[in-house]
Amino acid sequence: MPVMKGKELRIVGFLCNWCSYGGADTAGVARAEQPTDLRIVRVPCSGRVDSLFIVKALLNGADGVLVSGCHPRDCHYSAGNFYARRRLEVLKRFLPVLGIDDARFEYTWVSASEGQRWRQVVASFTSRIHALGKAPRLGEDAQALLKAVGTAALPPPPLRTLGTGKNAPLDSLKEAIKEKLPELECVIGWRQGYDAAHTTPLFIRKTEDIDKLVWGPLNVANPAVYLPRFKGGKTGIVVKGCDARSVVELLQENLIAREDVTIFAMPCEGTLDMARVNEKLGRYAVVDGVVRDEAGVVITVDGKEHRFDMAEYAQNKCRGCVNPAAVLADVAVGGAPEIPADAPVPLELGLLDAMSLEERRAFWSSRMKRCLRCYACRNACPMCVCRDHCVSDTRDPHWMTQEADVAQKLFFQTIHALHLAGRCTGCGECQRACPVGIPILALRQQTARAVEELFSGYRPGLDPAAVPPLLGYETEEQNIHEREWK
Amino acid sequence: MNYTYYPGCSAGGSSADYEKSTRAVCAALGMTLADIPDWNCCGSTPAHAVDTELSAALCSRNLDMAARQGVRKLLTPCPSCLSNLRHAAKRMENPQFRARVDELLDNPAAPEFPDVTSVMQGIAAHCGANGIAAHVRGSLSRLTLAPYYGCLMSRPPEVMDFGDPENPLLMENLLAACGANVLNFPLKTACCGASYGIPERRMTARLSARILQLATDMKADAVVAACPLCQMNLDLRQPQAAKAAGARFVMPVLYFTQAMGLAFGLSPDMLGLEKLRVSADALLRKLELPPAPQGSAEGGKPCE
Amino acid sequence: MRIGVFVCHCGSNIAGTVNCAEVAELAKSFPDVVYADDPMYTCAEPGQAAIEAAVREHGLDGVVVASCSPRMHETTFRRTVERAGLNRYMFEMANIREHVSWIGKDREANTNKAAELVEMAVAKLRRDRPLTAKTFDVVKRVLIVGGGVAGIQAALDCAEGGVPVVLVERESTIGGKMAKLDKTFPTVDCSACILGPKMVDVAQHPGITLYACSEIEEVSGYVGNFSVKIRRRATYVDWKKCTGCGMCGEKCPSKKTPDAFNEFTGATTAINIPFPQAIPKKAVINARHCRQLTKGKCGVCAKVCPSGAVDYAMRDNFVTEEVGCIIAATGYDLMDWTIYREYGGGAYPDVITALQYERLLSASGPTGGRIARPSDGREPQTVVFIQCVGSRDNSVGRPHCSGFCCMYTAKQAILTKDHLPLSHSYVFYMDIRAPGKMYDEFSRRAVEEYGAEYIRGRVSAVYPDGLGQYVVMGADTLLGEPVEIKADMVVLAVGIEAAKGASALAEKLCISYDNCGFFMESHVKLKPVETTTAGVFLAGVCQGAKDIPTSVAQGSAAAAKALGLFARDKLENDPQTAQVDIRRCVGCGKCVRCCPFGAVAETEIRGEKKAQIIETVCQGCGLCASTCPQGAVQLAHSTDNQILAEVNALCR
Repeated sequence: MPVMKGKELRIVGFLCNWCSYGGADTAGVARAEQPTDLRIVRVPCSGRVDSLFIVKALLNGADGVLVSGCHPRDCHYSAGNFYARRRLEVLKRFLPVLGIDDARFEYTWVSASEGQRWRQVVASFTSRIHALGKAPRLGEDAQALLKAVGTAALPPPPLRTLGTGKNAPLDSLKEAIKEKLPELECVIGWRQGYDAAHTTPLFIRKTEDIDKLVWGPLNVANPAVYLPRFKGGKTGIVVKGCDARSVVELLQENLIAREDVTIFAMPCEGTLDMARVNEKLGRYAVVDGVVRDEAGVVITVDGKEHRFDMAEYAQNKCRGCVNPAAVLADVAVGGAPEIPADAPVPLELGLLDAMSLEERRAFWSSRMKRCLRCYACRNACPMCVCRDHCVSDTRDPHWMTQEADVAQKLFFQTIHALHLAGRCTGCGECQRACPVGIPILALRQQTARAVEELFSGYRPGLDPAAVPPLLGYETEEQNIHEREWK
Repeated sequence: MNYTYYPGCSAGGSSADYEKSTRAVCAALGMTLADIPDWNCCGSTPAHAVDTELSAALCSRNLDMAARQGVRKLLTPCPSCLSNLRHAAKRMENPQFRARVDELLDNPAAPEFPDVTSVMQGIAAHCGANGIAAHVRGSLSRLTLAPYYGCLMSRPPEVMDFGDPENPLLMENLLAACGANVLNFPLKTACCGASYGIPERRMTARLSARILQLATDMKADAVVAACPLCQMNLDLRQPQAAKAAGARFVMPVLYFTQAMGLAFGLSPDMLGLEKLRVSADALLRKLELPPAPQGSAEGGKPCE
Repeated sequence: MRIGVFVCHCGSNIAGTVNCAEVAELAKSFPDVVYADDPMYTCAEPGQAAIEAAVREHGLDGVVVASCSPRMHETTFRRTVERAGLNRYMFEMANIREHVSWIGKDREANTNKAAELVEMAVAKLRRDRPLTAKTFDVVKRVLIVGGGVAGIQAALDCAEGGVPVVLVERESTIGGKMAKLDKTFPTVDCSACILGPKMVDVAQHPGITLYACSEIEEVSGYVGNFSVKIRRRATYVDWKKCTGCGMCGEKCPSKKTPDAFNEFTGATTAINIPFPQAIPKKAVINARHCRQLTKGKCGVCAKVCPSGAVDYAMRDNFVTEEVGCIIAATGYDLMDWTIYREYGGGAYPDVITALQYERLLSASGPTGGRIARPSDGREPQTVVFIQCVGSRDNSVGRPHCSGFCCMYTAKQAILTKDHLPLSHSYVFYMDIRAPGKMYDEFSRRAVEEYGAEYIRGRVSAVYPDGLGQYVVMGADTLLGEPVEIKADMVVLAVGIEAAKGASALAEKLCISYDNCGFFMESHVKLKPVETTTAGVFLAGVCQGAKDIPTSVAQGSAAAAKALGLFARDKLENDPQTAQVDIRRCVGCGKCVRCCPFGAVAETEIRGEKKAQIIETVCQGCGLCASTCPQGAVQLAHSTDNQILAEVNALCR
């Protein structure tokens, strides 16, 4: 059925069966007249409402979405709404990064006795949505809008002096691995790849493999992504600071056992942004050699020397890195690095922050058009633990269709970002893996920022014993406050 | 330490003794009071009930001048002035209200006003109970005092910021620091009826009598007031109150600054004690101090 | 699939603002819909018969009824389709009455909306699967929390009905608040005389296990199979040996122990039996005031006890009881009235609560039934009663009426005159609420026969006048005048709130409670004893203000619910539970971590960790389903695909 033109807007409500659905019934019994736009989906509990239902509705033409559950402490299932409150609040803070006005989504609490309150909620939300008007569809925005947006921001100077790990005690590290190897099935690290300017994962199983281990700014990959596959066996892993956070997060989620993993760590001095390095080296470049000094790397291609200073060519995440040393290690080699104070807003996110909602929609429309749905982003993500069971690859549940439109593609990115909320350590592997260079990390960064703001500065991957914020709740949330309905 | 000071209109007239004792006590405690130059009425006149903008304009002029002197803290002895100044400052936070008031003033008021507090809070903040005790030369331990704040000092609580509106305790702390036996006086924030002193004299007499009767029954040596209007009402109109209640009151009504001054060993004339209608001589005798220089005309005579 | 749609007129309730025939016509165009009709009353017998006939005639395998709220008739229609041979879950409802026809007058918009709701229901029904309930055994025992009059009544009724009872009481004796009362309205008969025999029955009934000085520590399980861990607090007296002779209390040197039973109007000894009729009549040591336990020297009670029952080394211990249902009867406490600074905030000794006054009136109280001022022991001449202190007062967040205060205030005014014929009582009231049998007559007697002076209005302040009396300032709103009364004593009818710890118990029982801690019943009018958690029932004031007869009635009602539940040997679960697709499950345990009921277990299948739903424990909230990133956990009848189908029906 089409929306009644000129009369109604499309508003979807998810109401819990016990309180809010009853409250809507009570309003009906009291003949409390309400606008007719709202369509109610009855769910057992507000905790049943996956945030993705809401995004799905909003990306597919809903002008507004309302979730209503039992008042906190009154949940029929005792705690469902406490979980919902955290997840829906994160969603509310996430929507704007997609270019969706967060005023189009609201959640509230209405008890079965509160017919009048329900009427007020419906009236107020409907008039809010009418004031916002029909929601613009993704891809409808003029391309011209995008021209005004500066998308090529200069990377900011690093927080600390980055280096190339030239003087790192690699030999001590190798010594330590040698000592532990007999107890381990495998130790994961890096080795030289197809040429001297690229590295590839190394799986040390025998003593002679140890010498293949390399260390330096070319070790861009996050080895933690391979760790869950060794579940059950004794595994060692060599980590940079950022990789260690992924390992901690995997421990926190019981995806690997602490006693099964041996962490070898060396302080990281930064890694190179290989996308920009490769661009400068040019296609089909044949690398003759790589020489590094303290401040940068010189790569010789076809006899021509290219210098890459760390200050200029380091990855964005390394510029704002505040965890250069591993937060958790069994064997830590090398001294204590200087640890910068607070992390700045990540570059990718800052870029989105500077845009209006319309510009963000235009930005994602144009960028996501290039998406191949290759899922390299997913495969590179150390926290993507569903592996062969990703919801994007199945019809049961059927979240994603086969259509190749921008909404589907962006919806997949939303699934990934929301599944990572409170779990993403910001390693940036998703974006690094993207063959068409879409800055998708920004979406994950926004969930991380929302989680950090809402849950007293919580940052994933720092404490293996912490409860992930979206798998817990407080009866009185410090930073989530009930919004008033007038 | 220097404070900017807003005396209020009654300081020059009916509460000259409050003014005198305030300055004397503050000086003794090392608080230098500098008056706002060319200050004007705060609008405690009917202005505040008739026209909030006009009343706020009056206050804003005072606050503006204080602000332009770079003052952060402004003290005033009178609760009515305090109430008006604080109300005006609060109302001026509303930009539309501020715009209308600015039209009434020659120049737009300063964007930020100093924080206005009562002299009582100022003294407490300046030296605390221990600091006051250190200045006591003659303890008031022989006196039983009934602290009486009046209805304005603590209300409305969200504006006045004076603690529990029904049960403020600041004056108790100050007087206790001076060694006095301080009564837990239940009517400490009850209305004395002063505002209806002219149109409804019988009601005023009844309300005042209730306070005086309770103080008498609780064996207080004096009521200690913090408001010029309350003090004048309870002191000057004591005969009327006594008549209304069919009772007999001899209840001196001091300002808290006068009581503190006595404890500090300041002479009665520095404190304006001679201005009291109901003589404080009995108190002075209890404290073994000479009587006030020339007791007021009918001083010491019981009021009936 | 073959779906039939029935768009109910509900007389003119729906048809008045919805074109039902048009909705039915439109429904025929929805996928899989092969039959649509718009009956006048679908829920009536002919309407249900028509559904059954259509299912048979058109070979339907699913039915949508668009009518009232599913909270009203979902069960009715599920039975209908079952009679027609379908699985009861092959049915969906579209709520076009409460959510459409009753809330809007625009016929065109309503018709369109109704059609859309039907489309959503059809979309969901197309993904419905037949579900079958599982049956499970019932433990035929009942746990009753709270031994006040409601709990006592429930316990006796259950035990008489042949169901073993576990009665848990927090205090050292049962009897609750009623045991503290002197007389009861409207008959003015002695509280102890009518409650005492019932308390003795509890003690003597072979079917009742009584745990006094005990509290609920943990509750797990579900209807039919609860497991309850009970903390038995240390009493420092071995009750198996204690004979209740009271020798210990006589000799105990710690004689200034606050007397909780007497509402702190008097003092008692550190070891004591709260009152002569206590059940169990056993001594308990108040550890905070016992010299032996606080200072390590004394031991008098141990020396004088003829049966050697005193045991200073006793510690809390736990028992676990398996029961099939739980009756909460935790009663009430008075709210903290000291927030009323205008009444002295607790600083004036002769301003007391009505419950304290009750102890002064009682012959077993600290004064032996003589009304005496706590300050000086004098008999008061003027007593002022103030009603609604913490009731019907939004300024302190207490909007509810405490129900029985009007009546006991009248009773206390009558008793005051009985005890002190020269005394005079004033009662400040807001309204007199006396709707019970003989109640209004009773409160009138207080005024007409006993001369209590009722003043309609609130009291603004109470303060001591310095001469030993209290000035009560108030307003007489009928005369429109201020009043001032010199009183010797002021008695406050303090409002009630749920008993201390009620909310913590509610959370353990997974039931909800309101702002003042009162437990929420399942339906205000039609299910006043049930809660939304199956197998948990309510009795007495824990659910809301009640007087004694109503509490007793609800105690019996809860017992009837328990006996009804146990009339069956097996129970059926609601099959709308979570289900795990073990092929998709990666064993991350997120569902295990957040299930509020512990209904998701971790299991190992072929060496891999997997989630497993314990179907009889699962309550069907679906939190696990929205938590599982792989979509491996699905809630039957509200699967991701079903909700997506509804969303997709609306947004495309």
